[in-house]
Amino acid sequence: MSIIKKVVLFSFVIALLTAMSLFSVNPTEAIALKGALVHTVAGPPIENATILIEDGKIVAIGQNVSIPTGAKIIDATGKSIIPGLIDNHSHMGAYVPNDLNEMPQPIGPENRAIDALHMSTPDWDEAVKGGVTTIVTGPGSGERMGGQSVTIKTFGKDLETRILKESGELKMAINGINLSHIPTIHSNFLKAREYLEKWKKYESGDKKGPPPPRDLAMEALAKALKGEEVVRVHIMWANDIMSFLKLKDEFGFELQFIHAPEAWKVADEIAKRNVPVICMPIELAINVPESLLRGIVTLHKAGVKLAMHSDHPVSPQKWFRINASMAIRYGLPKEEALKAVTINPAEMAKVDDRVGSIAKGKDADLIVLDGPWYEATTPVDLVFVDGVIAYDRQQDKKLSEEDL
Amino acid sequence: MSSPKQHSNRLRPLGIAVVAIICGTILILSLPFLQAQDKPVIAIKGGTVLTMAGETIEGGTVVMWEGKIVAVGKQVSIPEGAQIIDATGKYVMPGIIDAMTYYGVRPFALNDRANPITPENKVILAYYPFGRMMHGEKGIVKDKEILSGGVTTVYIAPGDQQVIGGQGAVVKTYGADYEAFTLREPAAIDMCIGDPPKQEMTYIGARPPLTRMGIATLLRKTLLGAQQFDKKIKDYEEKTDEEKEKMPPPPRNLGMEAVIKLLDKDIPARIESDFVDDIRTAIRICDEFDVDLIVDSGLGAYKVKDILAEKNIPVVLGTPTHPFVQGGEVSMSPDLYREMNDYNAAELHKAGVKLALGSFSFAFGGFGYATSGRWLLIEAAYLTGFDVSDEDALKMITINAAQILGVDNRVGSLEKGKDADVIILDGYPLNIKTWVDQVFIDGESVYRKEGGPK
Repeated sequence: MSIIKKVVLFSFVIALLTAMSLFSVNPTEAIALKGALVHTVAGPPIENATILIEDGKIVAIGQNVSIPTGAKIIDATGKSIIPGLIDNHSHMGAYVPNDLNEMPQPIGPENRAIDALHMSTPDWDEAVKGGVTTIVTGPGSGERMGGQSVTIKTFGKDLETRILKESGELKMAINGINLSHIPTIHSNFLKAREYLEKWKKYESGDKKGPPPPRDLAMEALAKALKGEEVVRVHIMWANDIMSFLKLKDEFGFELQFIHAPEAWKVADEIAKRNVPVICMPIELAINVPESLLRGIVTLHKAGVKLAMHSDHPVSPQKWFRINASMAIRYGLPKEEALKAVTINPAEMAKVDDRVGSIAKGKDADLIVLDGPWYEATTPVDLVFVDGVIAYDRQQDKKLSEEDL
Repeated sequence: MSSPKQHSNRLRPLGIAVVAIICGTILILSLPFLQAQDKPVIAIKGGTVLTMAGETIEGGTVVMWEGKIVAVGKQVSIPEGAQIIDATGKYVMPGIIDAMTYYGVRPFALNDRANPITPENKVILAYYPFGRMMHGEKGIVKDKEILSGGVTTVYIAPGDQQVIGGQGAVVKTYGADYEAFTLREPAAIDMCIGDPPKQEMTYIGARPPLTRMGIATLLRKTLLGAQQFDKKIKDYEEKTDEEKEKMPPPPRNLGMEAVIKLLDKDIPARIESDFVDDIRTAIRICDEFDVDLIVDSGLGAYKVKDILAEKNIPVVLGTPTHPFVQGGEVSMSPDLYREMNDYNAAELHKAGVKLALGSFSFAFGGFGYATSGRWLLIEAAYLTGFDVSDEDALKMITINAAQILGVDNRVGSLEKGKDADVIILDGYPLNIKTWVDQVFIDGESVYRKEGGPK
């Protein structure tokens, strides 16, 4: 077959698949997934379960679910189903056109990743193929305060319906050991506290006189001080972790650590303050002595809530699931590892009312796997986002056979 | 044998007499006009008149006097002594409007590279109308650049390498005095969201923005600053005279004064953005501060056509055949090819978005090229191959452009009372073999194609 013919056929297949996928976007149709082992995360796993999806939501889950007539029945016998994976820290959409780091502005909590979000990059499709259905994507770690992240689904009809949270999660970063990093952040929080006091005084008074001038940066930090936003810190060393915990003690904001390979050295201090850690086992396996991987288990045993992140493009979004597998390899219980890529990140990003587990009323974001979910050899068969089939391996396989 | 000299000598008194009689006749005939007006009455007769105000008039007449159109129609009485131009078999239409150019500004002067935010900059002050392209010189010009394409009105903008470049203006393409040829100034404040204003991360200490986040933050900060500046001024004005004597007025700030015009909706923000994501950001920020928006270039605009239509946001599209589509963004980011769609204009139009075409072309003196601006009619014709009707395509470069630029009270259509910016074409405007025969600006013939009407 000539190359031109191949190209023509290939484009035809792609066009056909596009048409088919467009055709399949019909969330009003009821779908019943039958016979699989379902890890609901909300409770114990259910064998031979049926999941009923209607209008993009999960309406029933259990062994005895009556399927309405006219529902599309998908036989998933012998397969396992888990909630759509949630990556708690990614740079998807901002990385490709290089919109990550606003370097000349080291203190930019008012920067918003939504303004830099790039929706036409193919990374989004790759993420769906790997079963990642929700991501928190945000600014890079080039500044002390990089800005605010956006919580978004990787697939959907349009941007409006895909966005779960337009802005939040104030991203901060402590890079290496630098004398000025902690004091810079400290003094800005002091400024924000003054700003907040000024506004509180104005609003609790009878609002006489002019209101204090608005400051977008201080406004963002004040939200953290009021407990409306979470502070997320890209952090490496144990002494920096301690310094930041003390900042939390002083200002009382809600704190989450990202990366934190040395967190296990101060696990008790972290646990005492209820600070969750968003870790990245793949990175640990590549960059640091293997023994540190066991630190994840140390954190878990100390009672620290765990989530995982791909830091895309540091590790590919598509292979996010391997993070959980690596943690299991080094001793994290399987159910804890699953929580760390589903419900825990949902809770940390405060979107657990919609995603993170398979339960009645939640968004129908789930993935069907052909085998145990944590095995690296297990392929993702089907990905549902909002009750719509976002990825089907059968079609993907056909494509590759034609291609070969 | 009589010499030629003798012969001529004999004829000389007769020649002088003939010349004197002719001159005298001309003088006597033109006396009423010399007394009454600077510019004569001109009537273009017999052509197919595309008024762009609704109807097309076969065999219509356009009468111009004192720089204005005084009558358009089929049965129009032509004043005695009017200069009559026979346009039988030709097309007559309003001068073409290029809704986005960088004409007449030295390319190096387009951007203030040191500063990302300069709303105080006025492009009109850098505009040089004396170059080969711009025809500042009086009289019929021979160069065949912008006027040869029938373009009589252009929007001139500062460059797109800054987040806020400055204030744009709407000018006519003929004349030397910028107070005379300017239609609207400032007409808008030009901004850019996308790759062009971003700085390369080449050294530490580069000025912002490096990212789209930085662009958005700079825009928000500027608009917020202007709100606060506005409030300061209003607070001061509310004070009593006694109080005013005691304290000085707030210091002036040209940039903030310009941005206040945006907040007051005197002028719109023109934001150049190609990726649909950047267009969304432009909409988001303009919504936050309640500012009128015009999207420039808008390669991916069809993806948000319903939002644009609902919010009544017009789009000035780049011309389809521009070598870099415009602004060089496509060559910079391969991803932008995914955004491109030949049916962009048609989709937007069907959704109800008001559209104009802009060439985004440069022309300064002998430098640069004005090609895409010169061929705006052909660019419009190209669109008709992609589901845009002939009428809509022509409107995009005449009346719609005038409406978007806010100068439709003066130009954009052939209607009584509007400026006499009229072009005569030797065939249907959208045909590839059609040439512009003659161009009138303010009733003055400023361009004639060689071999065209004398």
